[in-house]
Amino acid sequence: MSDVPILLEMRSITKEFPGVKALSDVNLVVRAGEIHAICGENGAGKSTLMKVLSGVYPYGSYEGKIIYQGSESKFSDIRASENAGIVIIHQELALIPGMSIAENIFLGNEPRKRGAIDWKAANRMALDLMARVGLQENPDTLIKDIGVGKQQLVEIAKAFAKDVKLLILDEPTAALNEADSRHLLDLLRGFRSRGITSIMISHKLNEIEAIADQITILRDGRTVETLDVKADGVDEDRIVRGMVGRELSSRFPDHTPKIGDVFFEVRDWNVRHPISAERQVCKNESFVVRRGEIVGFAGLMGAGRTELAMSVFGRSYGVYESGTIIKDGKEIVLKSVADAIDNGLAYVSEDRKAIGLNLLDDIKSSTVAAKLSKISHHGVLDEVEEYQAAEAYRKELRTKAPTVDESVSKLSGGNQQKVVLAKWMFTDPDLLILDEPTRGIDVGAKYEIYGIIQRLADQGKGVIVISSELPELIGLCDRIYTVFEGAITGEIARADATPENLMKQMTSTKKMLTR
Amino acid sequence: MSRLKDLQKNLFGGSSSNARQFGMIFTLVAIVVLFQILTDGLTLQSNNLIALFQQNSYILILAIGMLMVIVAGHIDLSVGSIAAFAGILVAKSMAEWSLPWPAAILFGLVIGAIIGAWQGFWVAYVGVPAFIVTLAGMLLFRGGNQFIGNASTIPVPEGFRQIGAGFLPEFGPNTGYNNATLLLGLAAAVAVVWRELQARKTRREMDADPAPMWISILRMAIMVGVIAFASLRFASGRVGTSFPISGIILLVLVIAYSFYTRNTAGGRHIYAVGGNSRAAELSGVKLKRVNFFVMMNMSVLAALAGMIFVARSAASGPQDGNGWELDAIAAVFIGGAAVSGGIGTISGSIVGGLVMAVLNNGLQLMGVGTDRVQIIKGLVLLLAVAIDVYNKSQGRFSIIGSLMRPFRRDDSAPPASPPDAEREPAKVAVSG
Amino acid sequence: MRKFFGSSVVAISAAAMLALAGCGSGRDGDSDSGGEAAKGFAANSLIGVALPAKTSENWVLAGDLFTNGLKEAGFQADVQYAGASTTVADQQAQITAMTTKGAKVIVIGATDAAQLSTQVAAAHAAGAKVIAYDRLITNTPDLDYYVAFDNFKVGQLQGQALLDGMKAKKPNGPYNIELFSGSPDDNNAGVFFNGAMDVLKPEIDKGNVVVASGQKDVKQTAIQGWKAEGAQARMDQLLTSTYGNKELDGVLSPNDTLARAILTSVKGAGKPVPVVTGQDSEVESVKSIVAGEQYMTINKDTRNLVKETINMVKALQAGDKPQVNDTKSYNNGSKVVDTFLLPPVAVTKANAAEAYANDPKLAPLTK
Repeated sequence: MSDVPILLEMRSITKEFPGVKALSDVNLVVRAGEIHAICGENGAGKSTLMKVLSGVYPYGSYEGKIIYQGSESKFSDIRASENAGIVIIHQELALIPGMSIAENIFLGNEPRKRGAIDWKAANRMALDLMARVGLQENPDTLIKDIGVGKQQLVEIAKAFAKDVKLLILDEPTAALNEADSRHLLDLLRGFRSRGITSIMISHKLNEIEAIADQITILRDGRTVETLDVKADGVDEDRIVRGMVGRELSSRFPDHTPKIGDVFFEVRDWNVRHPISAERQVCKNESFVVRRGEIVGFAGLMGAGRTELAMSVFGRSYGVYESGTIIKDGKEIVLKSVADAIDNGLAYVSEDRKAIGLNLLDDIKSSTVAAKLSKISHHGVLDEVEEYQAAEAYRKELRTKAPTVDESVSKLSGGNQQKVVLAKWMFTDPDLLILDEPTRGIDVGAKYEIYGIIQRLADQGKGVIVISSELPELIGLCDRIYTVFEGAITGEIARADATPENLMKQMTSTKKMLTR
Repeated sequence: MSRLKDLQKNLFGGSSSNARQFGMIFTLVAIVVLFQILTDGLTLQSNNLIALFQQNSYILILAIGMLMVIVAGHIDLSVGSIAAFAGILVAKSMAEWSLPWPAAILFGLVIGAIIGAWQGFWVAYVGVPAFIVTLAGMLLFRGGNQFIGNASTIPVPEGFRQIGAGFLPEFGPNTGYNNATLLLGLAAAVAVVWRELQARKTRREMDADPAPMWISILRMAIMVGVIAFASLRFASGRVGTSFPISGIILLVLVIAYSFYTRNTAGGRHIYAVGGNSRAAELSGVKLKRVNFFVMMNMSVLAALAGMIFVARSAASGPQDGNGWELDAIAAVFIGGAAVSGGIGTISGSIVGGLVMAVLNNGLQLMGVGTDRVQIIKGLVLLLAVAIDVYNKSQGRFSIIGSLMRPFRRDDSAPPASPPDAEREPAKVAVSG
Repeated sequence: MRKFFGSSVVAISAAAMLALAGCGSGRDGDSDSGGEAAKGFAANSLIGVALPAKTSENWVLAGDLFTNGLKEAGFQADVQYAGASTTVADQQAQITAMTTKGAKVIVIGATDAAQLSTQVAAAHAAGAKVIAYDRLITNTPDLDYYVAFDNFKVGQLQGQALLDGMKAKKPNGPYNIELFSGSPDDNNAGVFFNGAMDVLKPEIDKGNVVVASGQKDVKQTAIQGWKAEGAQARMDQLLTSTYGNKELDGVLSPNDTLARAILTSVKGAGKPVPVVTGQDSEVESVKSIVAGEQYMTINKDTRNLVKETINMVKALQAGDKPQVNDTKSYNNGSKVVDTFLLPPVAVTKANAAEAYANDPKLAPLTK
């Protein structure tokens, strides 16, 4: 491999923020035509490093050297790095929903003829670029009308429009379903065969193992090591060891479930889409949860798992049509979130930042936010009780924060998730619905969250886990329902669950019961 | 050395929001001192202080309501028109239907509540952005004022004028001061001391170390000193004048609403809705009810402000309320509230309003014309918020919030995540 | 510990209060000086002048004249205009600031005549004399003097000029006329109209003058907001409804802006130009008068009004009683205010050159 020319070398990069050293003495060598993965826990410095490379942090605001195509580069801003052929595609897509695919591809880079935008040429070139990324759509289609997977492809097409030499992808598959992820990875392989170099940041270790040539691992702002996937025979466990600096014997804590009786049941649940009423998002769905049981919901993105959970949680999604909820043998009617909370339900949403937390709040007010009545007397809040409650959860969940006065926006994803869990544990629920509880969370924190989930179940609570990661469901859940297009298509006991049979149920309407 | 650090950390609280408030109070003191010098001592003269409070109490009352509206993520452009509309109706009710003035005040508040319910309905239950609803309200109720008042000026009776132009009464022995004002000052001093002791107790119960005792004493001494100075000033105005009634109304409202926003579930919900409405909803907050309440509350306070102005002007006129919404909004933003909602305090807004008021008054005392006063006020507003933004971009404490979301806050607009520049180092600090 | 601490703080605060009380000066001014101490005041005292927003040339001119005139007379002048949007509140604050600064006389051109009583009372209580300039401040017993042009007289002059003008054109009646009046929210509008009717009414009763449309009531003739387009629309409508085959001899218009709008309407309809009155000596109207279209205007020379006001201030400074010429007519709702009325001057083509001889802007137009 060492005979392949070096495209990029970052030499002892150090970047400091007031009070924090985000990167210290980081080295990175990327050879032309390879796929280079960068791994590390959240906060290890991956994104900061990429921002240094792409000029977001301009030359002079960091120490060290960037040698690109044989000479030192001093990028003053993103434009400068893009002109040199370095294009970064962020985790949060930078597309404008109300504009068409073509408009987005050429945004800021519009082909002009005598000062005016030449839309004919733009559409022609867009079609060409879209073909290169395997996107079959009309270039006039609006971004908001295509799925996340296709949006990701538009982003890449946009990069090609700028004559990319080094493509940087930050968590490219985080929001994609299995099929779209596979397509994207194939695409990256195709790029490699055409000599385009890629840097990929990802938490999905199986993908990295499958696609990367080289892996550089960062930890706490330092380079730990660079591995050659083939030569070193790297597997997932090897990467994890590098990232966390220790051996994680198991990805899931040991747990012996203590399952009781059925206490929560949803029968014949029908819900319609909030805007287009002809669309049925929940079709006659029924399920049960037992005390002490962790129940998984598997399904592709858009299968209707979140919609089911939220519609049960006080009709916070869609238009309720029919169906009953039975808890502890009695039918309950939950018309609002407040009703749901009062009846012992809790819903930890899939998108922490958008709908799970008020990022302006501190830890303590976030912790008590869903049940203020518990710390107030005649409507007046007791600050001492608030503090004590928050402090107790901080200790119990081992949330890493100096005090509970800390703003939640300053916490890492894993610690934010712990605050959200604390918020719902504080409501003292009987049933917790956790929607993608470990998304965007690093390996170490995931392990802790699994432990918390198991402890909650052991307290006799029922837990529903919605996840797109099949290994997670299989490792954590006692029983798994599969959901496809708004209907429950299967119920699989832990012992029988394999990624293969889950996937089969998740993609077909045929029922399979293995109880 | 360590004492100095203690002082920095504890005197005005350690957290960033307190630091911001300290900055505001410092600015206010600086402006007062500046004008005290520039006007040869006129600024802190008893009569000027009294007039200053009387002149601005209604704007500050509006700022209280506006703060809550802005924290909830809305805006209210209609307050001036509502004040004028309520003012003319109240004046008419007394002049033409000979309603006794206490009943007329009640009547005015009811009008405010009805208007507020109207606006709250559109904002909360129909989902029309408050900007539009209140822009419509601004036209609607200004027109209503002209329609009912026929663009004429209607005088109000003596009793009613007290709420805008009245003072604490004179009683008791001749001390050379207004005794009622002195008593008020004493009560305030006792309250400050009691609060500080309570806060120490609370800190102890939270297992946290309270600030060193000498800091508490120093803090109390400063506060009591300020109160003593102010009450002596207010008590030594011309005979017949003292602490204004409108100032008392303001004080009561500030205390009540500060308590409401900080210490009750209802107040907490307003911040939750403004910080992240979807998250608040999924935490069981009744979004519509909160939005309805803040809009309605604003209109009630606007009606009250309108009545106080009418009382002070002794008549309701067609120009009442012109431009008040801008003064109130400016006070709230100078006081550190975030345009995107979720951040801001009542006390900050009051200080923000006072900064503008003292600036206005000081410049007038210097004989600076309205044209130039407006220019200066515009620059101050811009500068105050710009300093916020700059501090934030420099990674220091942030006032305009750690995330800027689109001005409109319905659920279709996906909230942008906080700028990464801020998030990344913070993560390293905590989880690294 | 805490108890001791609490009491110590109360002690501190009490001590602080006492200390401040000790060095405090006590209450300033027991000056309930409603009574005529009338001893005058220092010759270099501060005189405050609070004027409405700078929306018309007249107020800007008045402000300049006050600034210069008061300075020449040896006073310190503080001349303030209200802001464009927050007029009343600004003016209230300005008057209060003048009071605080110790102004001995405060001259007020009110933005809203009824909304200043609290500030006037405070100024009066602080020992300042308050003069209402051009607009009478109502509902306050604390107003000392009023200086203005005689607006009733303005109306009378307009009425008389209308009759004279029509007679000059056509020696014998009956004459067809139409009446216009100003904005209903302006007190002065009614005064102008009543003054004019004072002259016209006897002729109308005699049948010598006919309001052909029959619209004689002030509610029918009023033009909201003194708006030119309002006057033009009303005139258009009158011409179609009433003057299809009749001749219009004269129009009573309360000011120049409306007069020109009326003339535009008449000319647009292709009718002969009637006798139209006016007021304010606006540049365009003076040109029109010289050209022989508009018949007359009123000259209310701001210079004279300011001069009289400054004379009052001078008299007060010397401790004399200022000259007034009307102590009966102007009741502001609380008291009858001592008033100095200046006579307005009617200007037609005949006396324009003479009337504007001292006006640098208008004089050249009459040559």
